[in-house]
Amino acid sequence: MNTTTTNQSDCPEVKVPVPLFFTIGVVSLAENLLVVVAVIRNRNLHSPMYCFICSLAAFNTIASLTKTWENLMIMFANVGHLEKKGPSETNLDDVMDSLLCMSFVGSIFSFLAIAADRYITIFHALRYHNIMTMRRTKAILGVIWTTCGVSAVIMVRFFASKFIMICFVVFFVVSLAIICFLYAYMFMLARIHARNIVALPAAGGGGKCRRQRQWGSGMRGALTLTILFGVFVVCWAPFFLHLIIIMVCPANPYCECYRSLFQLHVVLLMSHAFIDPAIYAFRSAELRHTFRKMLLCSDWRRCS
Amino acid sequence: MSDFHNRSQTSARRSDYVWQYEYYDEEEPVSFEGLKAHRYSIVIGFWVGLAVFVIFMFFVLTLLTKTGAPHQENPDLAEKRHRPGSCLVDIGSPQDENDKAFSRPLLTESRSYFHFNINEEDQSKNQKQKPERKRAGKPSGARAQQGTRGISSSGMDEMEDDVEEDGEHQPLKGLIEESKTDRECAFFSHFNIPNFVHLEHSSTLGEEDLLFEPSVILERQSHSQDAHCDSH
Repeated sequence: MNTTTTNQSDCPEVKVPVPLFFTIGVVSLAENLLVVVAVIRNRNLHSPMYCFICSLAAFNTIASLTKTWENLMIMFANVGHLEKKGPSETNLDDVMDSLLCMSFVGSIFSFLAIAADRYITIFHALRYHNIMTMRRTKAILGVIWTTCGVSAVIMVRFFASKFIMICFVVFFVVSLAIICFLYAYMFMLARIHARNIVALPAAGGGGKCRRQRQWGSGMRGALTLTILFGVFVVCWAPFFLHLIIIMVCPANPYCECYRSLFQLHVVLLMSHAFIDPAIYAFRSAELRHTFRKMLLCSDWRRCS
Repeated sequence: MSDFHNRSQTSARRSDYVWQYEYYDEEEPVSFEGLKAHRYSIVIGFWVGLAVFVIFMFFVLTLLTKTGAPHQENPDLAEKRHRPGSCLVDIGSPQDENDKAFSRPLLTESRSYFHFNINEEDQSKNQKQKPERKRAGKPSGARAQQGTRGISSSGMDEMEDDVEEDGEHQPLKGLIEESKTDRECAFFSHFNIPNFVHLEHSSTLGEEDLLFEPSVILERQSHSQDAHCDSH
């Protein structure tokens, strides 16, 4: 991509309007902050599952905050209030990049933790409370946050090294595979279970009706899983392909045309932080109830 | 001032600022001469591939829901291999009506903790008189159907209830109830049916060998149910 106007490339960079960045950033920030506050305030939600959802929301909050802040700074820099290569600006840029990396890695770890928690809920149901105590949950969350912080600092410090980027990409692919496997396994077993229930002869001759109902519920399960997994892949994969392309074919014109869409890919990443609460947090009735109480009631004590 | 303008010109784009800022300063401009395919071919190829993957995944999942309709229960025997630990899977599968009679009471007990004591006698009776319990199975079948839809008050805790209330997590809802059967299994072991021997191994070993021997399957199922209850 050229910076001078004389040699204009055939793939000009696609620019996303700043208001769109701001809107997505602010809305996802509000949503995720709401989830975090709701989980903290409601004692019923102090269980491992909600702790992981809260952690995911916290990482998304950090990502949205950082991105919005970065947009502000770039806006100021373009207008002329900030110097782009000044020492304090580059330091600030490094800090923001670290926070972004941390929230990316943290989101992926949180997805893994949520999938593993659901897996244990279903397959080791009797021993769930022994396996997943609150203390262990807190330890797991502590490990996740520490790992993310450390890896973020390392990644930004040594970003020039290809090894770090390769690690990042490999980490993403491995997490994707694990999440896919866990959910697919849970789904398959659910189908077997449902089929076994349907195998019971029900009262009345509702055989075909039952089959349709089973098919309907199966479709819904398939749709849920497809959405869960599909949104994850659609939002994260373009960015990671971008990283791969930077490493693999920096000078290729085809690769450059892909790179010109960088801002669109970042918008996709941010929109994932925006969609996440709808997929994970808002599915829970208890959480929705807490939101309603928080938003509609002015006095918390009076309403609870 | 002029320095600043030069700098702002050379670092015009946001992407440069975030990720590729230092990188692009060092590289030569890329030439676009002699391109054989369309410029955005990687972009198009990537998105088409991604869409195909997501749709393929959706179709695989829906196919999983369509295969194994209620009257075709042979595939369930093969699928038992996937899940060793569940009482339901071990019991509920073959087409044999004897098996249905055998499996029904246990399935009903899985629905509710409260029904456990009531049905325990049913269970032992049914296991001993397999061929005759078809009629008795019907009301318990209806109970099972009610149980699957309701949320058991004796459920584990609000965690489970929340997962159950997730409107569209039907497979997870089903599996939560399956997990309740696991809990029931622990209590079945206290009420040992005197005729059945506990097996060490789960029924998933060598099951395909038994595919064509229904009587052996029956026996293995009853053994494996106790074995799995014990393994929990």
